[in-house]
Amino acid sequence: MEILLSALVSGLLLGLVLALVALGLTIIFGVMDIVNFAHGEFLMVGMYTGLLTAQGLGIDPLLTLPVAGAVGFLLGIVCYFGFIKFLLRGPMVAQLLGTFGLMLFLRNLALLIFGSEDRALHHGLLVGKSFDIGMGVIVSATKLAAAGLSVAAFVAVWLFMNRTRIGKALTATALNRSAARYMGIPTERMNALAWGAGGASVTIAGALIVNFWSVNPFIGLLFTMIAFAIVALGGFGSVPGAFFAGLVVGLIMEIPGFWDFFMFTFNADWMAKVPMTSFKYMWVYLAYFVIMVVRPRGLFGWKH
Amino acid sequence: METLKSALDFSDFPRLDLVVAGSLAILFLIFPVFPHSSFAMATMIQFLMFSLYGMGWNTIGGYGGQVDLGKAQYVGIGAYTTTVMLVRWDIPFWFSMPVGVCFAVLWSFVLGYPLFRLKGHYFAIATIATSLVLKDLFEVWDFVGAARGLEISPIKFPPPDFLRLIFKEDVYYYDVILGFFFVGILYMNWFRKSRLGFQLRAIKDNEEVARSLGINVHWAKIKTYAIATAFVSVVGSFHACYIKNIEPEDTMSLDISILIALMAMLGGAGSLWGPIIGAGILIPLKSYLKEWLGATAGLIGIDLILYALIIMVISAFEPRGIWGIVQKVRRRRQ
Repeated sequence: MEILLSALVSGLLLGLVLALVALGLTIIFGVMDIVNFAHGEFLMVGMYTGLLTAQGLGIDPLLTLPVAGAVGFLLGIVCYFGFIKFLLRGPMVAQLLGTFGLMLFLRNLALLIFGSEDRALHHGLLVGKSFDIGMGVIVSATKLAAAGLSVAAFVAVWLFMNRTRIGKALTATALNRSAARYMGIPTERMNALAWGAGGASVTIAGALIVNFWSVNPFIGLLFTMIAFAIVALGGFGSVPGAFFAGLVVGLIMEIPGFWDFFMFTFNADWMAKVPMTSFKYMWVYLAYFVIMVVRPRGLFGWKH
Repeated sequence: METLKSALDFSDFPRLDLVVAGSLAILFLIFPVFPHSSFAMATMIQFLMFSLYGMGWNTIGGYGGQVDLGKAQYVGIGAYTTTVMLVRWDIPFWFSMPVGVCFAVLWSFVLGYPLFRLKGHYFAIATIATSLVLKDLFEVWDFVGAARGLEISPIKFPPPDFLRLIFKEDVYYYDVILGFFFVGILYMNWFRKSRLGFQLRAIKDNEEVARSLGINVHWAKIKTYAIATAFVSVVGSFHACYIKNIEPEDTMSLDISILIALMAMLGGAGSLWGPIIGAGILIPLKSYLKEWLGATAGLIGIDLILYALIIMVISAFEPRGIWGIVQKVRRRRQ
């Protein structure tokens, strides 16, 4: 029972953080119908920012979030005006390969600057601490804090999109671009804002993740695919969709944990032979494929 | 007979194209006679392989407009079929290659049926997902060597062996792949004028109109996907015999899929020469940049940074590729 519970809890906590990773992707897609392959690389930039700021200034990793957010916002804006703006004129193939080029660029720039070795945080207020939340479930403090902050970020973004004037303009651009332009909304600037907001949310997620996940230049692709799966499940362009789909994908990634539970419960020896941990990410890809084929709109999506 | 005539008929191209293409073909044929470094030879073989990959991709991605970013899984299927059959049962290349094509095409039908219900971005990302699933499966499948991969040992299969395609010198591999290359060009020349080729271009322009003209859009896409797969799988089999050591990471990774799409896009998707031009620019650039900047200057990753910049500039400013530029210049002259 403890195994089941701890798998469930760790899946949900991971899911909350992954939802924040996917949030940026879904904002960008919702506003301008472009799939950002460099999304995982933005996350990697956030992870390095968090790590280097914490180590360089000697402050707690959790205090680096504003720095990471600012870096991500700038990165998003620069990418938009320097590159994405030109891509939008071209066909879809060019957009896909263009953001793929951006991904390759950022990844190898990181490789050139930081080298290929794994780096991890070893010091910090919460790093390495964990506590018992009852019923034998042990949760690491960093994951709990990351999940909590991720929920806070989600609430902030939701309020921004639905309660502020500029956020409503962003939503309007996502719903109908030309109608928004007739209403006097500067859609060009809204695009840039979407990239800034998307970049900021994903780098903040990166600065949270680096608390419990080591970083190397090649980490991006995995998170890009996870984010795609979440966005597909939740519906391209939907913020609440990303939240709930993040939880589901977190649980999917915890399948090896559930597998262990069933193995011990039913005492099934054959189950031990299946190398479940190697399949950890395969389930995410498979989930993406199945979701896309069965329900391309996703759970909450309005676009198809 | 009619098919052969159509495949050999290049008369709708301008004379300049044919002169350039013909002289390049002769250059490729006599290339091994000239003194050359083994590095140049390896680059040439890579170039021919990737132009074939690109031609395959060009059928579905260029003429059909369906951006497929999961071609690496079929490279893997071809390469693994050949290697497994050779290592385990000593079945030579020329028999295992068609079997690999059959497997790949079967798999492409299984995937293509659900995949082609999707469009645009959704299709592209779904193809990536399927490719990564297959890669993850191969990485734990002991029968095919799991993550270590399989090796064709030169001691067990002494070179030269034409049936098993095991040679010591690269020249023989060059001859074989050059043969495939010419067959590929002839096939593509036939394909672009075939019924399916015209149907695909109609689908690319406007799917609804194509359907209203009585084209079975779904089936046409699946058929073309299978053709593209067959191309890629043949070269995958060749890749296995040429490299002699295959593992999931370097036959089935996403980078291979993207590179395949990139060849065709850089050169000009939807044209006969596009993939060849693309491969002719990108492959030498890649290997020489890696040699000079990566190995000599010790700057790891800088070759791929330049590479990425090229991709970004091309996709932002000339999405129709180099062939698009050529055609623009021509139109201006007229």
